[in-house]
Amino acid sequence: MTDGARGEGPALELVGLVKEFRGRRVVHGLSLSVPRGSLFGMVGPNGAGKTTTLSMATGLLRPDGGTARVLGHDVWADPAAAKAVMGVSPDGLRLFEQLSGRELLHYVADLRRMPVEESRPRAEELLAVLDLAADANTVVADYSAGMVKKISLAAALIHAPRLLVLDEPFEAVDPVSGQTIRTILRRYVGTGGTVVMSSHVMELVEGLCDRVAVVAGGRVLADDTVGALTAGGSLHERFLELVGASEVSGDGLTWLGG
Amino acid sequence: MTLLVVRLRFTMWRTAMSRSSLHLTSSIVGGLVALGVVALLGPGIAVLSTRPLRLTALTVPLFATFTLMWVVLSLVATGVDNVLDPARFTVLPLRARELARGLLAAAYTGIPAVMFVLLSLAQVAAWGAHPAALPAALVAAVLGTLTAVLGSRAVTSALARVMGSRGGRLVGAVAVSLVTLLPLVLNLVLTTGAVGPDLRTFDAGPSARVASWTPVGWAWGMPYDVATGRWAAAGVHLVLAVLLVGLLWEVWVRQLARTLTSPMTAGGGQRIGRARLLPAVLGTGPTATIAARRIRAWYRDSRLVSIALRTAVLPVFFVVQSALTGAGAFAGTGVVTLAVFAGLTLMNDLAFDGPAWWVHVSTGVRGWEDRLGRALASTIVFGPVLVLTFVVSASLGLLHPVVPWASVSLAAFLASLGLAVGVGAVLPGTAPRTGGNPFAASSGGAAQGCLTAVVSFVGPLVLVLPVGVAAVLTAGSPVGRWVVLVVAGAYGAVLLAAGVVLGGRRLDRRAPEMLGQLASAQI
Ligand SMILES: Nc1ncnc2c1ncn2[C@@H]1O[C@H](COP(=O)(O)OP(=O)(O)OP(=O)(O)O)[C@@H](O)[C@H]1O
Ligand SMILES: [Mg+2]
Repeated sequence: MTDGARGEGPALELVGLVKEFRGRRVVHGLSLSVPRGSLFGMVGPNGAGKTTTLSMATGLLRPDGGTARVLGHDVWADPAAAKAVMGVSPDGLRLFEQLSGRELLHYVADLRRMPVEESRPRAEELLAVLDLAADANTVVADYSAGMVKKISLAAALIHAPRLLVLDEPFEAVDPVSGQTIRTILRRYVGTGGTVVMSSHVMELVEGLCDRVAVVAGGRVLADDTVGALTAGGSLHERFLELVGASEVSGDGLTWLGG
Repeated sequence: MTLLVVRLRFTMWRTAMSRSSLHLTSSIVGGLVALGVVALLGPGIAVLSTRPLRLTALTVPLFATFTLMWVVLSLVATGVDNVLDPARFTVLPLRARELARGLLAAAYTGIPAVMFVLLSLAQVAAWGAHPAALPAALVAAVLGTLTAVLGSRAVTSALARVMGSRGGRLVGAVAVSLVTLLPLVLNLVLTTGAVGPDLRTFDAGPSARVASWTPVGWAWGMPYDVATGRWAAAGVHLVLAVLLVGLLWEVWVRQLARTLTSPMTAGGGQRIGRARLLPAVLGTGPTATIAARRIRAWYRDSRLVSIALRTAVLPVFFVVQSALTGAGAFAGTGVVTLAVFAGLTLMNDLAFDGPAWWVHVSTGVRGWEDRLGRALASTIVFGPVLVLTFVVSASLGLLHPVVPWASVSLAAFLASLGLAVGVGAVLPGTAPRTGGNPFAASSGGAAQGCLTAVVSFVGPLVLVLPVGVAAVLTAGSPVGRWVVLVVAGAYGAVLLAAGVVLGGRRLDRRAPEMLGQLASAQI
């Protein structure tokens, strides 16, 4: 049984990923290696290619070049094996909105062929922990933005994957649930799981992640442990330094509020 | 403002076409087909000006029927062009009336609308021999097309609002079914008293007079009134037509105003009990789970509720016609049409899922499981309806040799199902947005609609033809017909299996590309 324990290579390995949309290249030979058992943060300005990269890493978007390996399984040569060991929560893709939160979890579990005796209690537990129990019977269409993020996370967790790929999991989530999710993720990593997540909140990434990659313009600008990258300063400063803050502070938009 | 909205519409059109060659091709094909129809019908109508008045009068029932069909079809078949979805204007400081003017102008830029306007101009030409009637015909063209365009907008937006709530869906269902029977009624009314198709004695006068007193005929009746010197009738028709256009405009503006202040949301407040029945019956494997979700959608999702109606209404139409006229062929055609339509509903099933389909991709569901689950759901939803319609028609004595009709219906259902799951894996089509207007459609003739329409029309015909021939040939043989029934079932099953396997393989190979297509499949 491979069960995610194939060799001891990285949990996620991207080599030379390339993506073009209508002739415009948005990801330029991006390579990353995420060690097992780490909580890996991906930061970068809007349009940097984070969502595009994570989609290519999870089998949702076919790359124009390069390879993605998940726990030793090539995502594009053997998608079934790779998808079996990872859980994904993409950003900006809708869920089946006519299902209730509980039904959605059951649906995902059944699609993954989990035994019912295992999946049903897990679904209840996830709903309770993520503070969704009261809305378990409400259709996802009626969920708030944060509730959608949480149910999407629950759907990614239900089969206890070895790798979690989360695109902006904390977006729109309230502080209490945010804290719960942080605890869940840390504990998950503590038991040998691996998390790759993107975020725009530097403080969160700094406090939560072990390693960070700064991505801009479809390239990796920096990839290191949080400590080494920040080197005494804050991630926020380092980010602005790497990406280059634009100087609008004083002069622009004077008509606004004038 | 009006100009701005029209320009926006053209911009969106151009963008859509430059992004997809399929869109471009089908728009061109759609345009050519429309042009062909106008080139055929237009001169045919205009040439009525050289004929006696009793024949020129034909324009009245003809255009009254066009107008009615325009409104009815927007409800049961084509939907209304929703490229400019009013809900998207919610955040702009716009008054409903301003927006309505813009949207109305934009509505006239669609291919079907242009076609209708051209034909109504042919109608003006048809009255060329009666100078006094010419201005009346021109006014009729304006008011008549406005009645059609505004009518479809007003009716669909009002119904969409009603169908947004759970109880309202039933009301909407009944309303739509009744509306669909209107053309039939109009047809019956208009043909009573008409003499056969002999042109030398044919007099369209009586049917023109009847048609001119129906709401859809008020406008179109005016030139005939004038030509026959009935000025009072012309005046009354003018007033009524103007009032009708005004009323439809008000209804539409009011619906727009409500959309601008409270955009429609999906269902709202739906709470769902724990379903135990479906999993108990179907099991919990991927195929069964997908089937169960699709079955639930048929009663939860107002978009699908309206599709179900569209599917069931036309065949009922045939059966009723058959019961009224006593012509058995209609009932048979009705049942077979129902079988084909029921199968073809799966054609754009993926578009109904839209981007949410990533869940299937990400969980590694096999393509054939996706296809088979959907086919199973459609069989469970439509199978009983089909059997019921068949049994009722047969027990009314409308389906004469019962077994051959059963063979054809069975093969038609399975073949259409197979065709839909196969083709649907390549061309996902389009669907209204989740929670949006269930009558929304992309611009007529554009998108993949055209190609899909051709496939949906020709495909079942070609696939069912062999069974049809066999059924006719063996209709007299007591043993032969049963053999054909069995063979038809096997043949249909093979086609369905082929659709599931081939469509499934296609999905397995090109899941990410399909996901990309689905990103823009909802309108
Ligand atoms: N389907 C698409 N078609 C065309 N261009 C696209 C598509 N998806 C993404 N892009 C382009 O690719 C680039 C990267 O987009 P991506 O969504 O990966 O950015 P991101 O880093 O996730 O940004 P954000 O922080 O805003 O989420 C952008 O310039 C975007 O315009
Ligand atoms: Mg993103």
